[in-house]
Amino acid sequence: MNGTDDAHGTNDAHGTDDAHGMNGMNGGAAFDEDPAAAEPDGEDLDAELLEEELRRAAAVLDPLPPALLQTAVDAYALHDLDARVAELTFDSLVDAIPVRGAMDAPRMLTFSAGEVTVDVEVTGQGLMGQLLPPRPARIEVLGGPQPGAPLTADDMGRFTADTPPSGPFALRLRTGGDVVVTEWLRA
Amino acid sequence: MRTGAAPSAAYDDVPYTRGGTVERTDVGALVRSAADGDAAAWKAIVEGLGPLVWSVVRAHRLSDADAHEVYQTVWFRFAQHLGRIREPDKAGAWLSSTARNECLKVHRNARRLMLTDDPHLLDRVSEDGAPEQSLLEAEEAAAQSERVRRLWQEFEELGERCRQLLRVLIASPPPSYQEVSAALGIAVGSIGPLRQRCLRRLRARLEARGAA
Repeated sequence: MNGTDDAHGTNDAHGTDDAHGMNGMNGGAAFDEDPAAAEPDGEDLDAELLEEELRRAAAVLDPLPPALLQTAVDAYALHDLDARVAELTFDSLVDAIPVRGAMDAPRMLTFSAGEVTVDVEVTGQGLMGQLLPPRPARIEVLGGPQPGAPLTADDMGRFTADTPPSGPFALRLRTGGDVVVTEWLRA
Repeated sequence: MRTGAAPSAAYDDVPYTRGGTVERTDVGALVRSAADGDAAAWKAIVEGLGPLVWSVVRAHRLSDADAHEVYQTVWFRFAQHLGRIREPDKAGAWLSSTARNECLKVHRNARRLMLTDDPHLLDRVSEDGAPEQSLLEAEEAAAQSERVRRLWQEFEELGERCRQLLRVLIASPPPSYQEVSAALGIAVGSIGPLRQRCLRRLRARLEARGAA
């Protein structure tokens, strides 16, 4: 990147930048406190101070909302030792070449856990999917740690929901003695 | 006085002396404890790394609703994978790169169908006064908050690349460069020089505005 060269150029001439009262003074103080540090130049110190000031500004003006912190604390309930995680192996948003003109194409997702595959299609109207190899299953559409809406997969492993998931979602599938949960993602 | 290579070697020293790396040496132990059923360990992880995930999400300029959902998704997935994280010591990088990937998906899906907004997700709590303010004289507080706002405004108006990098760097506690690299998809070695450059640019903007 060309810019990097510029940065070094300016850096070499940093002596002039340090001439701004406070920064120079702070630089001097730090020298006294930390003689072991090899040549901490004024610009590094100024950068440290500015970054720290910005960090405090972020804490005031754009902090992590407390409700979100709590949501993450509560998410511990999603730690499920008994379930197998079906990993996302295909996501049309990432892996598919968009079809020209098809702006609201359905989101196609494939999850895999060992021999089990779950194909899911999400549209504005709802969600449909198929469990492979085909088999009946009881399915929950999860939106968080709370119990989710129940669905049933027929003998062919097919299932549908009339409302699309909003926000984070996962499917918990129970089939035979097996519990499989799809990786959390956003619809 | 320095050759071109010397400054970048100096920058490279910076990440490993930053607070984040030091304070998070026990992340691996916390992740293992949480995986074994220790809810307090989980809470400590969330409290230690939640602000970093938030910073990564904010760095990607999502709407508030999207930002909230991505944040939740990242933690839900982390909880789900808890016992399977290959390198528990690098949980911060795992969270950062997961957050980045989800943010990029939001951008790809810009024309996604507008779903009903969940009203309580849209609550803004950012304007809560800083507790420190009560300790200051009223005038001093006003001057201080004006200064903070001015700083934030100049920061917001930096070029996109600088704004993004700095937004992640100013997570509290400060992230390691490994985490920043995972959050933004840039090489660890280029973070130091870019950071220096962006902060210099921000300083210049502030001075041009007569803030000094």
